[in-house]
Amino acid sequence: MPNPTEQRRTNVAGGSSRRSFVLMGAGALLGLLMAGYSLFTARGTSTMVVPPEDVALINQQPISRSDYLLQLQTLYGVDLRHATAAQRRQVLDDMIREELLVQRGKELDVASADPEVRAAMVNAVELEIAADAIAQQPTEAQLRVYYASHRARYASEGTMSLRDYVFPPSESRAAAEAAETPQFTTPTRALLERWHASASGKVADEEFYFAAKIHLGDRLFEAARDLADGRVSAPVSEADGIHILYMIKNKKPVPLNFAAARDQVLTDYRNEAIGHLRTGDEAFLRKRANILIAEDVR
Amino acid sequence: MALACLMAAVQLHSSQIEGRLLRSDPNSIPSSAALMLFARERGGALFGVHCAVCHGQLGQGDTERGIPDLTDDDWLYGMGSVSDIEQIVKYGIRSSNPKAWNLAIMPAYARARPSVRDSKIPALSPANIRDLAEFLIREQGRAGDTAAATRGAELFAAEGGCYDCHAADGRGDPAVGAPNLTDRITLYGDGSRESLSMSIAYGRHGVCPAWATRIGAAEIREVALFVYSLSHEPRRTETDRHAESD
Repeated sequence: MPNPTEQRRTNVAGGSSRRSFVLMGAGALLGLLMAGYSLFTARGTSTMVVPPEDVALINQQPISRSDYLLQLQTLYGVDLRHATAAQRRQVLDDMIREELLVQRGKELDVASADPEVRAAMVNAVELEIAADAIAQQPTEAQLRVYYASHRARYASEGTMSLRDYVFPPSESRAAAEAAETPQFTTPTRALLERWHASASGKVADEEFYFAAKIHLGDRLFEAARDLADGRVSAPVSEADGIHILYMIKNKKPVPLNFAAARDQVLTDYRNEAIGHLRTGDEAFLRKRANILIAEDVR
Repeated sequence: MALACLMAAVQLHSSQIEGRLLRSDPNSIPSSAALMLFARERGGALFGVHCAVCHGQLGQGDTERGIPDLTDDDWLYGMGSVSDIEQIVKYGIRSSNPKAWNLAIMPAYARARPSVRDSKIPALSPANIRDLAEFLIREQGRAGDTAAATRGAELFAAEGGCYDCHAADGRGDPAVGAPNLTDRITLYGDGSRESLSMSIAYGRHGVCPAWATRIGAAEIREVALFVYSLSHEPRRTETDRHAESD
C-alpha cells in the first residue's frame, strides 16, 4: 500500500510531467506553424500562393502588381477600378506571354547568339551598377569637398562682342597701319575702303566663347580671348586675308560658386562614383572568372 | 510564451493589412481611413530614413537644390495620383533604372553641345537666352521688356525647340516631366531673370533614385501613400464621422 505522501508526490510529478509535455508539444506546434508560414510566404521560396505585391507567378517568377497597373494605364489609359474584365485579361495574358518567352530565351541562351540581346544585357548590367551609385545620396559636405577639389571645372561660359575686319593678303602694310589708328575702333566706310578692308561677317553681336571659337577659328579666337574691352588685336594672317579684331566687350568665364554649380557637382560626383563602381565590378568579375586565352593572341 | 503569441498576432495583423494594402487599387486606398492610417505611419518613418535627406522631413523641398515641394498640388511627373507617385518611388527619375522617368533633360543652351542625347538641339546666344527669360517673365504675368519677350516667344516656338517639351503654350507636359513655365512655381531658384537664365544656360536634370531593389513592395506603397498624404487632407469616411460624433 503506498503511503499518502508518496502518492501525492507521484501525482504532483505526473502532473508536472504532463504539463511539460503539453508545453513542449505546444511549442513544437507553434514552431512548425511559424516555419510552415515562413516557408510558403518568404521571398525567394517556392510557393503556391501569389504574394500580395504580385498578380501572377510564372515558374516562380513574379509579375509585379504595380507593373500590371502601369501596363493597364499605358495601354488603355485606365486604372484597375475602371478597367474592363477583357482589358485586365488582355494585359495579364500579354505579361504572362512575355515572361514565358523571356524564360524560354534564357533556356535557349539567346544571349550567346543574338548581338542585340547581348548589348541589352551589357547595358542593363551597367545601368544597374549606375542605379546603385545613384541611390547613395552624398552629403552636402562631400559635395563641397568635391567642388573644392575640382573648382576649375565649374565656371560660366565666357561671352564676347567683337568686330572682325579682314584685309586682302597683299595689304599687310595697310592692316598694320589700321591696327595703330585710333579711328579703327569705329571705322567709317571711307576708311575701310581706303584700307581695302571689310567686316568678315564671321561673328554676331555677342557670342559665347565656344561659338566665337567655332566662327572665328582657333587662331583668331586665341587672339581675341585675352583682348581687353576696347582693345585692337595685332594683324593675324589667315587663308582668307589679314584679320584685325576689335573687342567691344569681353566677359571672361567666371567661377561658379557652390550653390550655382551644385547641380553639375552632383552629376560629376555621381558619374565618378558610377565609374569607380563599374571598374570595381569589372575587376571582381574578372577575378572570379575562369578566363582562358589562346596562346597565339596572348 | 504569451509575449511570443502577442508578437506573432501583431505580426500576423500587420501582414494582413500589408496584404490588403498591396492588393488594393492604389488610387482607391486614400478613401480607406484605416489603410491610410497604417500606411502613413509606416511610410512616414521610411520617408524619414530614405527620402528626407533630399526632400526634407516635411517634404517641403528646396528650390536652391531643385528638390520639389511635395506638399503642394503641382506635380512634375504624372498627375499626383498614388500610382503615379508609387512609380516614381519604385523606379525613380533619371535613376538608371530602365523603367524610370527618363525622357526629357533640360538642355544647357550656353554650352557647345546643349544636349548629350540630341545633337540637333542648337546652342543659343547670350541675347537669345535673355530674350527667352523675358518671355517667361511675361508669361508669368510679370512686367518686363516687351520687345525682348516677343523675340523670346519666337525662339520658344521655333529655333530654341522649347515647345517640344514644355508644349506650345508653355504649360508643360507631365508625361515627360516638363514643368509649367507660365505659373510662378519654380523648381530651381527664385524665379528671377538670373535664375531663369541659369536654367536655360546650364540646363537641369534632377535625379530621384529607384527604390525597387532596395525596399519591399509594401514599403514602396507606404512611402507613396505618405507622400500623397502630404498634399491631401485625410478624407473623412463614415467611420470617422461616427467617431467624431461620439
